[in-house]
Amino acid sequence: MKTWRYLLWIALAIALIGWPFVLGNKFVTHIGTLICMFTLMALSMNLLLRIGQLSLAQGAIMGLGAYGSALAMMSFGFPFWAGFLLSGVVGGLVSLLIGPVVLKLRGVYFVLLTFAFGEIVILSFTEWVDVFGGVNGIFGVPRASFFGHVIRDRNVYYLMALAMAAGGYFLLRAIYRSEFGAIMDTLHDHEELARSLGVDAMAYRLAVFSLSGTIAGFAGGFYASYFTFVTPMAFDFSNAVNLVVINVLGGISSPMGIVLGALILVPLPELLRDAVEYQVLLYGLVLIIFLKFMPEGIVGLIHKLRGKSDD
Amino acid sequence: MLQLLTQIGVNGVMMGLVYITMALGFTLIFGIMRIVNFAHGEFYMLGAVALMFFYAHFGLDYFVAVFLAAACVAVFGMLVERVLLRQFVGRELNGMIMTLAIAITIKAAVAIVLGPQEVSIPRPVTGVITLGGILVPNDRLLVGGVAVVVLSGFYLFLRFAPAGLAMRAVAQDWEAAALQGIRPQRVYLWSFGIGCMLAGLAGALMAPIYTIGPYIGTVPMLKAFIVVILGGLGSLPGAVVGGLLLGLVEAGFATFINTTVATMISFGLVVAILLVRPAGLMGNAR
Repeated sequence: MKTWRYLLWIALAIALIGWPFVLGNKFVTHIGTLICMFTLMALSMNLLLRIGQLSLAQGAIMGLGAYGSALAMMSFGFPFWAGFLLSGVVGGLVSLLIGPVVLKLRGVYFVLLTFAFGEIVILSFTEWVDVFGGVNGIFGVPRASFFGHVIRDRNVYYLMALAMAAGGYFLLRAIYRSEFGAIMDTLHDHEELARSLGVDAMAYRLAVFSLSGTIAGFAGGFYASYFTFVTPMAFDFSNAVNLVVINVLGGISSPMGIVLGALILVPLPELLRDAVEYQVLLYGLVLIIFLKFMPEGIVGLIHKLRGKSDD
Repeated sequence: MLQLLTQIGVNGVMMGLVYITMALGFTLIFGIMRIVNFAHGEFYMLGAVALMFFYAHFGLDYFVAVFLAAACVAVFGMLVERVLLRQFVGRELNGMIMTLAIAITIKAAVAIVLGPQEVSIPRPVTGVITLGGILVPNDRLLVGGVAVVVLSGFYLFLRFAPAGLAMRAVAQDWEAAALQGIRPQRVYLWSFGIGCMLAGLAGALMAPIYTIGPYIGTVPMLKAFIVVILGGLGSLPGAVVGGLLLGLVEAGFATFINTTVATMISFGLVVAILLVRPAGLMGNAR
C-alpha cells in the first residue's frame, strides 16, 4: 500500500514537471504557471483563514512584494535573485510591522481594517507617480535570470512557479500536521483554552500573519519578473476576493482543497477572456452555491462521499 | 474667508446627507443581523439603474420614479435576505463572504445586461440658487431635502412604530426580544429590506447628478464603510455624525488641497479609529 502511494506521488511529480515539454503549447503552459501562482497566493490566504482571520490586504502585500522587487532591480540594480528574495522579505516585514497592531482586532473589524490598509497601499501606488508610476504602473521589469543567464523560456517560469507552489503546499501540510498547526486550530475558536494552557496566542497569530505575508510577497516577486510589468489594478481588493473564492470552492480544511480550487477557477478567466463579466458572474454564482450548499468545499464533498462508501 | 468656510460647510452637509442615507442602511443591517453587507454599493447601483428605467425610459414623474426605484430595491433586498442570507445571520465571517459573492454576482449580471458603459440621464432640476453669497445647486438641494425627509421619517419609525421598536429590541438582544414574542426572522427580513431601500434611495437620488453604470456602487460603498467605522459599526447616531464629519472633511480637503488627499486622509482616519477606538466615535463596545 505504501509503495503504491510513493509510486503514485512520483508519477504525479513527473507528470507535473514534464507535461509542458511534451505538450509544447505556450498558452497552456502560461495557464499552468498562473494556476501555480494563484495556488501559492491562496495558500497564503488559507493560513489566515485557518486562524479565523480574513485579510483583504493580501493582494496589497503581494503588490508590495512585486513593486519592491521591481524597484530594487530597476532603480538600485539588484540582481534577480536578490530582488526576488527582497520581495518575500518585504511581504514578511510589512506583515510583521503591521501585525502587532492589526491583529489586536478580530472578525469584522480585522476585515475592515485590512481592507482600509489595502486601499491605502493601492492608492499610494496609483497616486505616487514619481516612484510607482501611477495607474500605468512600472514597465520593463527585468526577467528572471540565473548566473547571468536571462530566462525567456516559458517552461522554466512554469517550473519556478511549480516549485514555489509545491514548496508552499508541503510547508503548509507539514505545519498543519505539527503541534504548531494544532495550536493554530485552537486559535480559530478556542483561544481562551489555548491561552489557559500557556500559549502566547498573539505570538502565534503574528507568526502566521508574517509567514502568510512572506508567501504573498514571493508570489508578487515572481509576478513582477514573469509579466515584466506591475500595475496597481493587479493587486487590488478583487485579488483578495479571488483568493477567497478559491479557498471556499476547494475547502479551507486542507491544502489539497486549495490546489483543486485553483485548478478549477484559474483557467476560467483565460478561457472567457472576451467576456470578463461572464467570468465574474460565474465566480459569484459558484461562491454563492458553495457557501449555501457545500460550505466545506470540494474537499468536504470528497470526505462525505468517501465516508458513505466506507460504511 | 467666512463665506468660503460657509460654502464648504454647505457642500459638506449636502454630501454628508447622501453618505448618511447610504451608511444608515449599512449600519442597520450590521446592528441587527451582524452581517457586513459588502453588497451595499450594488443596491445603490440598482437604485440608480431602476431610476434610469422609471424616469428616463418610461418618463414617469421624478418623485414617483425615485419612490418606485427605492421600493424595487427594497423588495429585491428582502428576496436576497430570505433566499441567501438568512442562514448566515450572526456568522460574521461566512456572512461577509456571502455578501461579497452577492456583490460580484449583481455587478457582473448588470454589466452583462446593460453593458459596461456609463450613461447619464437628464436632471430633473437645474440651476443654482444664491443665499447671501452661498451657491447651492438646485439638484443638490433637492437630494438634500429628500434625504432629510426620509431620514426624519426613518427616525420616527424607529422611535415610535411597533416594527421600529421591534428592530431596536432585536438589535439589543435578540433572545430577549424573541421571549417578548418578537419574531427575529421577520425583523431580519424587514431590516435588510429597509437597509437596501435606503441604499437604493441614495442611488436613485444621485443618479441624475452622476452617471449610471454597473460599477458606480464601489465609491459610495467605500464611503459608507468609512462613515460607519467613524461612527461605530451598528450605531445609528454614529452613522449620522460620521456622515456629516466625512462630508465636511472631504469638502474642506477637496477645496484646500485635492480629492486624493481627502480620500487618503479619510482612510487614514479609519485606520486610526479602528486601532484606538474600534467601536467608533459613538458606538458601544460589545
